[in-house]
Amino acid sequence: MASSSAAEGVSMDDDYETLIATTDVELLKRAWRNEKAAPEILRYESKLVSRVNKVIQLMEEIVEEKSSGGTDPLSVSLYQMDLDRTLFLLRSYLRIRIQKIEKYVFHIQKTEELRNRLSKYEKDFAKMCENDLEQHLDESVLSKLPKDYKSVLRQSSMSEEDDMVPEPQLDAFVLCRSKEYLTGIQLEDGPVDDRSKLFEMEPGVLHFICYKSIKALVESGKIDLL
Amino acid sequence: MYGSKASQLVKEFASGEKGQLTTYNNDLIREVVAECTQHHLDFQSLIRKMQEEGLDIQTAKNADHYGALIHHLAVVRNKRCLMAYMYNRAEIIRNLLWKIGHMLPQEIKVKLCSTEEEHFKNHSKALKNYMLKVEVDLTVVTSPSSSPISFPSPSPASTHAPDMVPPKDPYIKVRVIDDIGEGILLSDDKSANFALHSMHLLKRTDAEQFIAQGKMEELKG
Repeated sequence: MASSSAAEGVSMDDDYETLIATTDVELLKRAWRNEKAAPEILRYESKLVSRVNKVIQLMEEIVEEKSSGGTDPLSVSLYQMDLDRTLFLLRSYLRIRIQKIEKYVFHIQKTEELRNRLSKYEKDFAKMCENDLEQHLDESVLSKLPKDYKSVLRQSSMSEEDDMVPEPQLDAFVLCRSKEYLTGIQLEDGPVDDRSKLFEMEPGVLHFICYKSIKALVESGKIDLL
Repeated sequence: MYGSKASQLVKEFASGEKGQLTTYNNDLIREVVAECTQHHLDFQSLIRKMQEEGLDIQTAKNADHYGALIHHLAVVRNKRCLMAYMYNRAEIIRNLLWKIGHMLPQEIKVKLCSTEEEHFKNHSKALKNYMLKVEVDLTVVTSPSSSPISFPSPSPASTHAPDMVPPKDPYIKVRVIDDIGEGILLSDDKSANFALHSMHLLKRTDAEQFIAQGKMEELKG
């Protein structure tokens, strides 16, 4: 079965191999893993997502072509499986982000830095989300409270800052692995005497560490979360 | 005792099963809100009393000052409890969208208050709106073989549940657990006899819709 299709399949397979090896899917997998493990929302990988979309389109065309061409069903199903996995990654990536926005919508909306991490559509979504939740809380309870206590962000008008906004726990612990030798990582937890000590990371070694300490390194792509 | 009703409210939420809603406690909420109003009135009358005595509210630390403070703190505490109750419920309600889709079943509806129901509808709209827009970008997502977002989808089939776990194998073993009917064409143009309790090895993408409808179950292991 394989030998009959081998001859005409070679060039096709080569194209396919290079296509798959362009690692955009691998990069997406990384972005997805990071997003999944990080307590806060990370920067939206807009270029990567649009490239992955093109990859997906190509893969679909290949599957389409193969299945209508009547080549052996085994290879079609392999391509289909690959396609399914990529689609899963993409959807899961977008979904995790949307769920984070749902959860921390007030915090994201009032923090410029976080808001800028969203894609255009995510921003629209966050805006709608914020309005809906605010309206809901206002109509059900807040509007009935005495006048100094109606804010959705503050406990009372006597609070000097927004003290009623749920925020992600940045001191949560995460599993991570560095790609290169890193040094000078400041630990932000533990006993005070230990904090001045700088921490090193060997490439490829797993660490269980407070997210806050490596936040910047995750954002710059030096450390991967697992 | 100040704040005991509010803490009762929070306890009621916390003692519920995780991710499950209890019936919206309208009476208790009203009572807590009324308590807040009363505290505020007491607070204001104490402040007025201090002002009439010609005392500076900021610096005078007499009994009335601390009395007023207690009333203020009681309102804040009540508010925190109310918000914890509402906010956590809202979170569960939004999660329902991911779990059971955009239609609220009657047995859940009766547990919500009117603004909660409204919130669910609005949030569903926001989510659909986002998915529609992304769909423009990700036209691929709507391919017939794998439509996670099919519009409009009034069916109870969850549009998300099927791919919450990464796909391992394109084929899965399923058992038919409900009457499906005959003449169903699979994606490879073959049809199968889906008699009740029969087992099949199907393409995951073919089987997902039936699993979502509760007509098939996946056999694992």
